[in-house]
Amino acid sequence: MNHSKAASIFNKDEKKVDWHDKALWFVRHKRDKAVHAVEGWESLRNYGHGIKAHTLSNLDNYLIQFEENALKNGVQVHWAANGDEHNKIVHGILKEHNAKKVVKSKSMLTEECHLNPFLEADGIEVIDTDLGERIVQLAKESPSHIVLPAIHKTKEEVDELFQEHLGTKPSGGDPQYLTGEARKHLRKKFISADAAITGVNFAIAETGGFVVCTNEGNADMGAHLAPVHIACMGIEKLIPKQEHLGVFLRLLARSATGQPITTYSSHFKKPVNGNKMHIVIVDNGRTEQLSRPDFRASLHCIRCGACMNTCPIYRRSGGHSYDATIPGPIGSILSPGKDLTKHSSLPFASTLCGSCSDVCPVKIDIHSQLYKWRQIITKETPQPFVKKTSMKMMGKVFAKPMQFERIGKVARWSLRNLPKGVINSKPNVWGKERDLPSGPTESFDDWYKKRKDNEQ
Amino acid sequence: MSSREHILSRAKANKPDLLELPNLDLNVFVDGRDLIKEFKTKIEVVGGNVVDVVVKENVISQVSSLFPDTKANFSTLEGTQDFNTISLEALNKPHELEDLDILILESDIGVAENGALWLSDNQIPIRVLPFITKHLVLVLNKENIVPFLHQAYQKIASSETDFGVFISGPSKTADIEQSLVIGAQGALSLTVFIY
Repeated sequence: MNHSKAASIFNKDEKKVDWHDKALWFVRHKRDKAVHAVEGWESLRNYGHGIKAHTLSNLDNYLIQFEENALKNGVQVHWAANGDEHNKIVHGILKEHNAKKVVKSKSMLTEECHLNPFLEADGIEVIDTDLGERIVQLAKESPSHIVLPAIHKTKEEVDELFQEHLGTKPSGGDPQYLTGEARKHLRKKFISADAAITGVNFAIAETGGFVVCTNEGNADMGAHLAPVHIACMGIEKLIPKQEHLGVFLRLLARSATGQPITTYSSHFKKPVNGNKMHIVIVDNGRTEQLSRPDFRASLHCIRCGACMNTCPIYRRSGGHSYDATIPGPIGSILSPGKDLTKHSSLPFASTLCGSCSDVCPVKIDIHSQLYKWRQIITKETPQPFVKKTSMKMMGKVFAKPMQFERIGKVARWSLRNLPKGVINSKPNVWGKERDLPSGPTESFDDWYKKRKDNEQ
Repeated sequence: MSSREHILSRAKANKPDLLELPNLDLNVFVDGRDLIKEFKTKIEVVGGNVVDVVVKENVISQVSSLFPDTKANFSTLEGTQDFNTISLEALNKPHELEDLDILILESDIGVAENGALWLSDNQIPIRVLPFITKHLVLVLNKENIVPFLHQAYQKIASSETDFGVFISGPSKTADIEQSLVIGAQGALSLTVFIY
């Protein structure tokens, strides 16, 4: 299903759309407040961009350095070319340690590889321990946002889910009560887990260590209690030195939720005596994206979600409408590189307003990449008949100024005089959810000329 | 070809020409703030509590009056044998810490810009301790407050750390309709004693 069709399903519940829009704008607003309080924020963004660009330009060597140091630290390193290999490696490690119960801290990479169903098919219990992730897991859904996985769910919906799965009392959606019940439920899982899986926010070539950021402490509760810790990372998570964390940890949480830093920023390097630590390094299309000069900067992404919170389309269409692990603006430039046909509608799910690029902490030119994908997609994938024809017609109209002026006159007259039923008829998609403005009596061209005359 | 070779050769073939690593000029961030004041404000912003003490020796008595009804207590401060009700040596596995009520640890770096305190294996006898405890108390000398994370990493770089964590506030979540709830999977409260 293409994005606009999927979005129209989400749009059926107008009240919920408004609520979703406001909830995310609230987070965007918190981001602004946090960012404006930082002296040198733009320099910080430039440093973030520069460090990531440098790392990608030396990626093979940094990967080798990282592996070498991780091995020295007593960590086992695995390499996976794709999602399937990643899943098999993780499964193999769990089998080796006879692990049946696994607690997972939020990791978009394992989502991308569809790890949970793979492990569950072999009877392994996988519990997502981030509260938002646990909520969508209970609802048998995928996260609709990379930082706020259950942002599409109302508290009443969570209340019902918990009643059904955790046996809670009806509370009308009291967040304090529900979070407390989830804490009790997850504590049992942490205590009895055989292995813990976490994502990786940043991997440091210089030390072979990695950093995991959470607010709930779930990654730590899992990793420090279970005898086996498996950390899964995409190759783009690397940074050269530990001191560079100073830049990225300052950028990440402020951009994500407006917090000055996440509650826990845990630096893992060596396993404790007797325990095992594994790192799975995953490509899954990333080296392919690296080969595309116009799009490789998408690999700078530190997964803060700021571009989603600010995007007028994302806020009104919901994360699930993107049908991709990473939704929103950043997802729309990452996904076409993986499957151009499946994701061909995503770069069009944007107003090209540039707000995503403005808030991006590592200065990814998201909106220009969206525009560039559009050019490729229009050439390489079949376009809907109406769009193709209307674009051709528009091209012809714009090519001849006299003709454009004549048609403009007719259009302005029609907007003023024709009944609404005719103006907002079916072929006019612009009139679908809104009234069009009343047509002005003069064209911009006329107005501009008159203004010039008056000035002289 | 193994996946390792495959990934490395593709990364090598597909990467752009080498770009310079930027040199960080930390002067661009200087905002002239009062470090101690900023640090305290940030701890409160992220949901923690701050207590000033004149000397470190006063921490235990203050903790006892703040948390009068705790049963399982543990502290790494010197001379707190009377306060400690559990012995780490007696533990078979870290899971037995599940009922720990209160934990007192010392930190040697505080970051003014975000109210975060650094703890490493040097200060945490068992890694899960600061996460599994119900209430976490951290003790910091105000001389050890640095303005930004950059300066914190300059201090950390000199010591070899197998595990370390910046902790900023109590465990929290806003996953249910963006309502902030203190106390998710980790500690329910954080109190920072500054001397």
